[in-house]
Amino acid sequence: MNIWRILRQTALGATLVAGAWLLWPARGDDATANRDAAAARAATFTLRVMPGQFYAPGIAPGGVGEVNRAFADVVAAYEQLHPEIKIVLEPSLGNLREYLVTQLSAGTAPDIVMCNVEDVWGDVHKGWYVPLDAYLEEPNPYCAAGQPGAQHWWDQFAYQAISRAKTGPDGKMYCITYDMVETAIFYNKDIFRKVGVTPPTTWDEFEALMCTLRAAGYTPLQMVSVLYCDWALDLFLDQLYAAILPGIDLLKDPVREPYLDGYLDYDEICFLFRKGYFTRRDPRFRELWRQLRRFRSFANKDIATEDILRAFIAQKAAMLWSTSMLAYQLDADPNMDFAWGVFYLPRFTTNTSRYASDVDMCVIGGSGVQYEITNSSYTDTGDPATSRRLRWVIDFLRFLTAPANYTAIVNEHPIQVPNIVGVPVLPLMQPFAEILKRRYTTTKWCYTFDLQFLDVLGRTLPLYLDDHLTLDELLDWQEKNLASACARFERRKQLDFTAMEQRWQALAPQRAPMHDLPAPEGR
Amino acid sequence: MPRTAMHASWLLRLRASLACYALLGVPIVLLGLFVYLPVCWAFSKSLFEYEVGGVSAFIGMANYIEFFTADPTTYVALANMLVFTLAAVLIRLTVPLIVAKLILSIPSERWRHVYRVVFLLPVVVSSVAMLLIWQGLVFSHQGLVNELLQYLGLGALRRAWLADPATAMGAVIFIGFPWIGGFEVLIYYAGLSAIPQSVNEAAQLEGCVGLRKFLLIDIPLVLSQLKLMLVLTIIAGIQGFQNLLIVTRGGPGYATFVPGLQMYYNAFSYQRFGYACAIGVVLFGLIFGLTILNMLYFKSSEDIQATA
Repeated sequence: MNIWRILRQTALGATLVAGAWLLWPARGDDATANRDAAAARAATFTLRVMPGQFYAPGIAPGGVGEVNRAFADVVAAYEQLHPEIKIVLEPSLGNLREYLVTQLSAGTAPDIVMCNVEDVWGDVHKGWYVPLDAYLEEPNPYCAAGQPGAQHWWDQFAYQAISRAKTGPDGKMYCITYDMVETAIFYNKDIFRKVGVTPPTTWDEFEALMCTLRAAGYTPLQMVSVLYCDWALDLFLDQLYAAILPGIDLLKDPVREPYLDGYLDYDEICFLFRKGYFTRRDPRFRELWRQLRRFRSFANKDIATEDILRAFIAQKAAMLWSTSMLAYQLDADPNMDFAWGVFYLPRFTTNTSRYASDVDMCVIGGSGVQYEITNSSYTDTGDPATSRRLRWVIDFLRFLTAPANYTAIVNEHPIQVPNIVGVPVLPLMQPFAEILKRRYTTTKWCYTFDLQFLDVLGRTLPLYLDDHLTLDELLDWQEKNLASACARFERRKQLDFTAMEQRWQALAPQRAPMHDLPAPEGR
Repeated sequence: MPRTAMHASWLLRLRASLACYALLGVPIVLLGLFVYLPVCWAFSKSLFEYEVGGVSAFIGMANYIEFFTADPTTYVALANMLVFTLAAVLIRLTVPLIVAKLILSIPSERWRHVYRVVFLLPVVVSSVAMLLIWQGLVFSHQGLVNELLQYLGLGALRRAWLADPATAMGAVIFIGFPWIGGFEVLIYYAGLSAIPQSVNEAAQLEGCVGLRKFLLIDIPLVLSQLKLMLVLTIIAGIQGFQNLLIVTRGGPGYATFVPGLQMYYNAFSYQRFGYACAIGVVLFGLIFGLTILNMLYFKSSEDIQATA
């Protein structure tokens, strides 16, 4: 036989063997891996859970202090209680959105994921997530008789308005709000004392305070651009529209209304947009952006890329708008050499704007860690109604909210405010818990529609804030963006405005005395 | 030759080459499965309103019509793409060629080798790491450029270079400066090295040296390499969006937005896979057309020699 032929055939054979070997699933030889694998084989179900960056074991929240341990301890306790269940913790990922789209479409996502439920809403119609409403009405077996949750799991949640406001566009609840986050203005008490100013009680005082700080050589406020699109926009919109809500809040929801009084949902916004609200014909809408632009003028020059904490820590900036996590970071930092405090943003007055509703600023924080259950949870039967696996996933979530377990996890570090009745609020979180007692916002504007809507808003508003767009150019973008988002939602949700139109007519007497409502088109 | 003998001979040849066909078969199947099939799938899905996991409805050419007539970002993105591509062509066709020529001019072979290695070394650095260095250390708020301006007493010029619409595009183009660390230098070096010694000697005898020789003799004789780089640069310029995704995400506003990003966002953020496929098909058509034009009208050194 030709030697080259033999060599060729040998090479082919070797390639095939090598290929098969490479494709063969690897077998771990590590003792821990073997033990885990054995446990997983012994378990009836292996549940995959993504605890998120706040509570993931081994992570130091905010990059300071001790690492998390409690979540792993609670998981171990659950596995001991239910030997037939094995829990595998999955790491948090940077580009969660892309990860979830690919994993969910393949049906291989973790059973429980942690992400903002607003990111989930665009996918709920595909059946990628499990609605939790029915389970939330059931008892939590880990709550003692007579305690909140023993009859309805829902009752365990302390901040009902905010928790229940997280319903999806289809009216169903796709997350449990595990804890709460709130924002506040962090201020340098030493600088305030030196300059001779105190926390303000009205927006006009707030602006005067910022002018004084600037005159004293300090950057009054540190902000990043995303906060204008999200927190500031919602607060300002609420300040300008709260007074006319009785004339434009069209839908009454017998279940959610006690908690969501006056909240404008996506369908109401679609309808109001048709009536000229949130267009350039709406004076309040114009005023909204003008006020944002004015507010921006007090902040750091570079709102796009600057590390806003740096100037605050270096005592070059007097204030910083951030979340409760920063309180923990500042408190845990041994090198902090100034006293700091927090206050909440004060109300607009009619001196601030003629459209001011003269009400206290509403809550802008809200749901912090949110857990969703994916379609991976019912792969045993393919049907959520009959899936035993899904029942275990729900059971584990309920175990996580059992007061003792919950306290261990959420109060391991003072970074978030507990959302379970009876769980103590740590002293550092107390000011944020107080802020959370305020009424809920008029709407979560940037999360009302989808990621496309959010993206266009996030790209165009910073341009206006930094004078790269005029107000009319910005309004043009916002109108087109809203028109496009409304069209997508009307098509996707097959919205029927008949009931809203009737309600609109019924509310006409309420609107009659209100001033500066948008003129009908053509007038 | 009788028909049966021919058939037997063909079988024998096939048998002798069986191993080769078998070895080739695997990559061909994989290529078909993971490259050609998705391309065909994209063509087909561009005619649908389609999102992963959702319903799929046939809408004909609506995605293409939307892209060209209704999407406010389309022409901004195309214009940006044109600028980025032209800048890339200008940079990749000139700077590395000059560097290659300079290296070749070094008399010592040892030092030529050292310089080749030095210029190739940056290739091993992860492009993502390199981009993050430029983003975080050079153009950031406390980055090299701003600190340098501050040091020079030009603090008023400090700005968010990648977040200011006036400077973002220029800053993105500037990334990688002085644009000489890469394969381009080696490709041009190989082309210049392949110029026959007799040509160089003849040029010297005729007094054609220095810049004149570079322009009149060297460049025409590395046209094949230039043509290759031109095609690759245009393809990368039209397709590319990864760098922009990392550095600016197409912002500020839409200042560095390109059709590749438009495709990416529609697919993975807005969940409009059908529309994203349509954008992909348009980009494919654009690349295909420009490549054909390039093949037809841009002569290589071999073409020039053949017609001479």
